[in-house]
Amino acid sequence: MKVLHGIPASPGIAIGSAQTIHPVLSVDVTAQRSVDEAVEMTRLAQAIQQAIARLDALRMAAGGSTADILEAQREMLDDPELKEGADAQIATGFTAEAAITRVAASYAEQLASLPDPYLAARAEDVREAGRRIVAELRGISLEIRLDHAAILVAQDLAPAETVGLNPAYLQAVVTETGSATGHLAIVAQGLGIPAVVGVTGALAQIDEGTTLIVDGERGMVTVAPDEVSRSEAETRLATAQRDRRELEVYRDRPGMTADGVRVEVFANIGSLAEAHKAVEMGAEGVGLFRTEFITAHGIPSEEEQYAIYKEVAATLQRPLIVRTFDIGGDKPVQGLDIPAEANPFLGWRGIRLALDRPEEVFLPQIRAFLRVAASYDLRIMLPMVTVPQEVEATRVLIDSALQDLEREGKLARRVPLGIMVETPAAAVTLDQFRGLIDFASIGTNDLIQYTYAVDRTNVRVRERAKPLGTAILRLIEQVCRAGVPVAVCGQLAGDADAVPLLVGLGVRELSVAPARVPAVKRVLSGMTLADMQARAQQRLAV
Amino acid sequence: MERTVTLGSKSGLHARPAGVFVQHAKGFQSQITLAKNDKTANGKSILSVLTLGAEQGDQVVLIANGDDAQSAMNELVPLLEGDLG
Repeated sequence: MKVLHGIPASPGIAIGSAQTIHPVLSVDVTAQRSVDEAVEMTRLAQAIQQAIARLDALRMAAGGSTADILEAQREMLDDPELKEGADAQIATGFTAEAAITRVAASYAEQLASLPDPYLAARAEDVREAGRRIVAELRGISLEIRLDHAAILVAQDLAPAETVGLNPAYLQAVVTETGSATGHLAIVAQGLGIPAVVGVTGALAQIDEGTTLIVDGERGMVTVAPDEVSRSEAETRLATAQRDRRELEVYRDRPGMTADGVRVEVFANIGSLAEAHKAVEMGAEGVGLFRTEFITAHGIPSEEEQYAIYKEVAATLQRPLIVRTFDIGGDKPVQGLDIPAEANPFLGWRGIRLALDRPEEVFLPQIRAFLRVAASYDLRIMLPMVTVPQEVEATRVLIDSALQDLEREGKLARRVPLGIMVETPAAAVTLDQFRGLIDFASIGTNDLIQYTYAVDRTNVRVRERAKPLGTAILRLIEQVCRAGVPVAVCGQLAGDADAVPLLVGLGVRELSVAPARVPAVKRVLSGMTLADMQARAQQRLAV
Repeated sequence: MERTVTLGSKSGLHARPAGVFVQHAKGFQSQITLAKNDKTANGKSILSVLTLGAEQGDQVVLIANGDDAQSAMNELVPLLEGDLG
């Protein structure tokens, strides 16, 4: 037995056998053809067409932001210069495999040498296009096939590789590279399967077919577990499964206290996959769509944003609260010049950046929102607000966007506008926002950080911040008395101990990770509002 | 037929704007060429256009050769000067 450590990327536990994916496709770039050049060129042309057809099929299945990544690769496959360059190489004697690999590598090197980091990053897309064509020439598929339940172990999994996988067979994922917030983590969380990433040397230490225990909470992979570890994991798995079955009944019930007071249970999402998960788990709406998750390749155009938001709204068919881009010094975006800051959490971020860069950042997003709102229940929420003037300035932009859209003959609709309450400034003056906003949602993670002056990423001080401390509870109580409907969308909203206190203080909407929706509904149904109020008052008095 | 154009796209000819340009260029019979300094690129090839490494404010020369060169210029010049969003 051996225990490997990595980064926990998606919670849950799985026991299964390993299916290892080794980076394949080594190409001899000096290989000489033994057939006529015309034959070889035809082979290449066919392989390119097959690669395009395969990618198109994948793109249809993928949707959303994965489809955008694949679209860029498709354009490269279809590139006339790529084909002509490879034909020229074939003419000098190389095989189609060697020719296409040489040309793709040459473009990749040219791109990688450009000073612009964004263009340099496209080098990987060209190499990937070359690999796709080589795979077709050899009659193999780059897509991973799973025909039985297994735990995938790979160096990394590209978006294209994960789309075609049958989720019913995918028990867990282990990769050598990746981060807790990377693409794979998001996909795994969306599917509700455990994932551990950043496991150095995983492929060297795990043989095909070996039994593995993947612990997505602790970021541990146990290879060939002994009896003790195995039975411990089986117990945890059984408990988790029993719990999930018990929770099933809550999925389709509305969120309600034991005495019938409605508390809406919404979900927080960052992608289309999570929107599907939210529906599956019985979320009554989405209380927070983190739109900055779609800026991995720069800020998409208005049309691209419109398509993404519309797809999410159509998937949900229930209320969708979209938060405008929450970007800043700690979340850089390609193509946006955001200077490095000594204190990015206190810096140029959220609404501050959006209002300073209306043309570049704010307006395309607002226009996309207003257009989607013409056919769906969409509401806009602003991050990092501190004073009412920020909402007034936003309203001016929304009004002019509505006028522009009307002039252009595009369908749009005015929508409810709300703010995130994540700064103490907004929390203690929320009454001054009355009339300007239709709702407020408390972002507890940031509110706790700003209230206790504790950087949540600093391990030496992060324990000093008390999520249910008196300072936080008093702020929430004050927010609830401001005369504005109040939601909570931070991690606290999904915490079983916090839910009665929040509702007791006056919160009537909780927005939580999709997988937490049934559990929160169960907590709500177990107590009356009067009991929750009593418990909250008791805590405030301490 | 050729024209010198100042690139308007905020992010230069990155993947997205370059893709938009190439899609439009492919709509014409004419041969479409972009030149920047001593480099030239086939306007119908995304790889070729990307390797120009053109950024906002750069001067590029757009060349169209063929029967529909005039309509290609009419459509592509404003595209390069605009934001190519």
